[in-house]
Amino acid sequence: MTKTEIRVGGLGGQGVILCAQIIGKAASIFDLKHSTLIQAFGPEARGSACSGQVTVSDEPIGYPYVKHPDILVVMSPDAYTQFAPQLKPTGILLYENELVTVDGRLPKGATAFGIPATRFAEELGRRLVLNIVMVGFFTGVTSLVSLGAVERAVRDSVPRGTEDLNMRALRKGYEYGRELVAVPA
Amino acid sequence: MTLEGFPESVTLRDGTSVLFRPMQPDDGPALLEFFRSLPEQDRLFLREDVTREEVVDRFVRHLDYDAVLPLIAEYEGRVVGDGTLHRDRHGWAAHVGEIRVVVAPEFQRRGLGTAIARLLVRHATSLGLDKLVAEVVDNQVGAKRAFGKLGFYPEAVLKGHVKDIHGTRRDLVILANDVSQIWETMEAMVSDFSPAQEG
Repeated sequence: MTKTEIRVGGLGGQGVILCAQIIGKAASIFDLKHSTLIQAFGPEARGSACSGQVTVSDEPIGYPYVKHPDILVVMSPDAYTQFAPQLKPTGILLYENELVTVDGRLPKGATAFGIPATRFAEELGRRLVLNIVMVGFFTGVTSLVSLGAVERAVRDSVPRGTEDLNMRALRKGYEYGRELVAVPA
Repeated sequence: MTLEGFPESVTLRDGTSVLFRPMQPDDGPALLEFFRSLPEQDRLFLREDVTREEVVDRFVRHLDYDAVLPLIAEYEGRVVGDGTLHRDRHGWAAHVGEIRVVVAPEFQRRGLGTAIARLLVRHATSLGLDKLVAEVVDNQVGAKRAFGKLGFYPEAVLKGHVKDIHGTRRDLVILANDVSQIWETMEAMVSDFSPAQEG
């Protein structure tokens, strides 16, 4: 059984849960795998820590909680501080590199990939698509879900009329991720 | 010069297939032919004398899709419609876009104007604009209806602001479409706030 455990962490208002939800939706509904999602919110509507735990597997999932993720996606320094030590030593860290600084908390052996997702989102026209940039980055770096499935999941999840900007955000993150993992010629 | 999502083919309600694409530097002659074919009445409501070669030449030579997106509708290799999305890149109205549409007489009342405007609204939304405006003369019933279908509503009337070819003064109606609500929906979606915590 191939099972991948993911944690997405950040602040309320960054679209952390939607990011996790889209990854799970792409895997389960459009890539026909199994996935689960656990969401955790802080007490305030905005600015408090929140996170999502996503499990993707080829077989039904018996236990949905993620303690030591294979992949950690962080969009805030607090999320990094809290969750980086829990990443598996062979894990992958995907982080917003203008908000988060990678330090000794990252387990030795883990690989880190950074992206200026907030800046990219602002350049595209709306800061609030930063989570979709991160979804694209996740897809580009990990290839855990297919680009086609993620595109369909994004289209299926965002409000009507915002699809184009969200798709551009997705592709921006995806292409940036593909370039980072590309083998040098 | 390319733009994501274009060229795009759209079938009008009578089955005619029209190709939409951003204006290119070599569109000058076809565009000039299109503008010169417009009745004087239609041309009067345009802001510049587009029958002059140097005016059209300036359009095609200074293309900057970020400031003005000119969208051309093409049928059997000739231009049959032109729409533009204008926006300020800075200042107090940087969140507002203005849409202008002009359609060849034989393509009026066939849904071409609505199709052009719809593509421009879609593009404006994807740029993150909050509000769109369009100007129509009070007797341009078809244009008002077409914009109305896309969510535009009359927001202001400038009395006697334009004169038609007979010298009759007419009201200029400023139509507006506040598209910020779709971004409010998106904002609510990324709030990371548990529905169970509401209330």
